[in-house]
Amino acid sequence: MFTSRTTGLMLVLPAVVFIAVGFLAPVLILLAQSLRLEDGWGIGNYLAFMNDGLGREVFWRTIKLAALVTLAAAVIGYVAAWAIVETRPERRGVLVGMVILPLMISPVARTYAWLVILGRTGFLNVLITNLGLSEEPLRLLFTETAVFIGLLQLFLPLMIISLVSALENLPRDVVPAAQTLGAGWIATFFKVILPLTREGLVIGGTLVFTGSVTAYITPAVLGGSKVLMLETLLYQRVSVANDFASASVIAAILMVTTLAANRLLRRLATPRRR
Amino acid sequence: MRRAALTSVLALAFGAAAPAAAEPTLVLSAYGISQDAFKKILYEPFEETCGCELVVEIGNSAERLAKLEARKDNPNVDVVVFADFNALEAARKDLIQPLDPLKLSNLDKLYDVARDPIGDNMAVGYTLYSTSIVYRTDKITDMSSWKDLWRPELKDRVAFPNITTTQGPLALYMAEQAWTEGQPSPGLETAIGKVAEIKDDVVTFYERSSQIVQLFQQEEIWAAPMGRFAWGNIMKLQMPLGWLLPAEGQTGGLNVASIVKGTEQADLAHQLIDMWLSTEVQTALAEALVDSPVNREVELSEPVAQLMTFGPEQVESLRLVPPEQLLENREAWLETWNAKVAQ
Repeated sequence: MFTSRTTGLMLVLPAVVFIAVGFLAPVLILLAQSLRLEDGWGIGNYLAFMNDGLGREVFWRTIKLAALVTLAAAVIGYVAAWAIVETRPERRGVLVGMVILPLMISPVARTYAWLVILGRTGFLNVLITNLGLSEEPLRLLFTETAVFIGLLQLFLPLMIISLVSALENLPRDVVPAAQTLGAGWIATFFKVILPLTREGLVIGGTLVFTGSVTAYITPAVLGGSKVLMLETLLYQRVSVANDFASASVIAAILMVTTLAANRLLRRLATPRRR
Repeated sequence: MRRAALTSVLALAFGAAAPAAAEPTLVLSAYGISQDAFKKILYEPFEETCGCELVVEIGNSAERLAKLEARKDNPNVDVVVFADFNALEAARKDLIQPLDPLKLSNLDKLYDVARDPIGDNMAVGYTLYSTSIVYRTDKITDMSSWKDLWRPELKDRVAFPNITTTQGPLALYMAEQAWTEGQPSPGLETAIGKVAEIKDDVVTFYERSSQIVQLFQQEEIWAAPMGRFAWGNIMKLQMPLGWLLPAEGQTGGLNVASIVKGTEQADLAHQLIDMWLSTEVQTALAEALVDSPVNREVELSEPVAQLMTFGPEQVESLRLVPPEQLLENREAWLETWNAKVAQ
């Protein structure tokens, strides 16, 4: 007879094999490929990427946009999540449903909608010119602003949902308690709410940041070749230039960036010991 | 058909021999554009006459070239269509084999430029197109030169093809002719420098011709260099758009068909290409606004002739970029572009 320990191992085995073959092996092959040079092995591909002005620019633009999207999502997310948590429980479901609904629509469709909204004859420009904010319609498409808006709309629901569940677990009395003790809203938020909901913020932030860094369709459609991000550059290197060396470098950089972002957010969220 | 494709993909993926089929299979690797029309005009009639099954793989040139290279020793494609310089690249990488002119009964009917475009009978042209500037005739008047894309009225209103597309280098080639007064340098430094000067005023560097239609439709742009093959879709917009005949001339591109080296279906491959070049198919493809003909015997109705690159006068006036020049300088152009424009 099997002991319960071997049974347990055997039950785990299929999953382990699946992950090893379907995930770990390809990742290792990819990492190895990025270190492969024409004559041997080394970090030459990475140096070439970082020495290339375009590579550097695209890298920093990706980090900047993803960070801005995460920050904006956190600000809007707290307000929205607070509003949702403050409503009566029976209405909460409807509101959460409305937040989740866009997630069920294909990102391609959502991104193309922005193409129409942000266009020169689109809704936003009609609004701007009718309000007299600008005489001429503005050029919004194919700018960093367009990519920022597209990514924010795409990933905001993930932040809101994470923060809703975090705020739901917030003890009911801490906010009135803080205010009774003389804390203003800003102090209450930073000293009470934020520390108690940081887990939700880390999860939401990681999802939004990782999503923004690795999004393809939004930067491709709303940014185009003038606003290249790591993903769109990766596609260009593989599919147009047939340059697998720098493509695997970009893939490795994407992976390290998302892991690093997660570590950083965790560090920020860990309470400081006094 | 999809099922057969799937079966053969599976068979190939597992390195097994394809299950013995009743009829032979011919695999064509082609561009994704206008596949519905090709199916009706070429693929289905071909399948009726050849007693074989035609499987079509689609994708852009780089993808398909990479696939050919990856399967060099065990090719799973029989006929491949490319732009002329891609075919030259494939020939230099030993991925395609010479055509047998005796097996192409329609070869004599073609314009000279299409008969043996990359040498050694490695390819035969099946369509050519002009590349020029499309512009809003109600917004800008007296356009006459490639240099007019740089006019101040067009600030924030021009799209330019990205260097990574086929149209990008073609447009740069003509801009180089224009800005150097006919003293072009092979590196296209002048043209790329001129594009760099206005890079912030260019709406976007487009990557697919289909994008152009939408950019005009949404009034994002008033002018853009593009290939004539997209003109039919542009006309459907019913907007005041004109095709410029610039003082420096139009350039263009030639698309060619080749036979993959090591194919076991060489006869069927020639049969498909020959049918593609026939007066009947070339006429039907032109009437459907898919491809301009290279067959001199094609006669087109007047409205269609207006839309296509048609007739000896037009065909012979095109200033095509020599495929060797394009192939040999492409990387240098990309480097200059990345340093000056893309950043």
